[in-house]
Amino acid sequence: MSLNSIRIQTHDFDLAKEYQQLRELSSTVGAVVTFTGLVRDFELDASIDSLSLQHYPGMTETLLQGILDQADKRWQLIGSTVIHRVGELLPRDQIVFVGVASQHRADAFEAAQFLIDYLKTKATFWKQVSQDGKQHWVESKHSDTDAATRWDSTND
Amino acid sequence: MINLLFFGRLGDFSKDMPATIKASTPAEIRHLLTPDYPALAKELSQPQVLVSVNQMIVGWDQPLADGSEVAFLPPVTGG
Repeated sequence: MSLNSIRIQTHDFDLAKEYQQLRELSSTVGAVVTFTGLVRDFELDASIDSLSLQHYPGMTETLLQGILDQADKRWQLIGSTVIHRVGELLPRDQIVFVGVASQHRADAFEAAQFLIDYLKTKATFWKQVSQDGKQHWVESKHSDTDAATRWDSTND
Repeated sequence: MINLLFFGRLGDFSKDMPATIKASTPAEIRHLLTPDYPALAKELSQPQVLVSVNQMIVGWDQPLADGSEVAFLPPVTGG
């Protein structure tokens, strides 16, 4: 199994530091792919004031570990990192990080996309936005479900 | 008693949601909530709402042991 790290945290993360940690996992690392998700400044075509992220402590980590285990079975990975922030966030804040280190680029590219697609549709996080002083919960998107579903039928 | 958790929009239906209840399945919990929280019970009947027992996704007829933690999970929106 590869070296995995899962972190749910309120504070920000440092992209360069995360990249460096993946890079230094092994002398056999030949590719590192990272994805960073940011808080958009709009939801349903209206600007947002802030975003609040709730999760289910314990279950979220278990589900993310399950997703990382699946990635390990599908691709040749050396290590993966998943960071998700919770609590109060502002537009343009970093919200999620997925980083994958592998020997060859195809494994890292595909596994990183799989990890974020599955995280978005299977891990127990819920977003609430504040718009004009009013809070409402964000609805799940069909495009996210479709992005995750395409991995369901492929095993390589 | 069964410990209850309502996540996302399911937690906003009432200010006085019960934290515990006596029930033998998640489906029974939904049934017991119907008189006092009809809008929430209707929402819990939506097919996209999942239920977990002790942090494992289960079916609505899963038997519950005393002290179990039952959580109601609307569609997730992380990432």
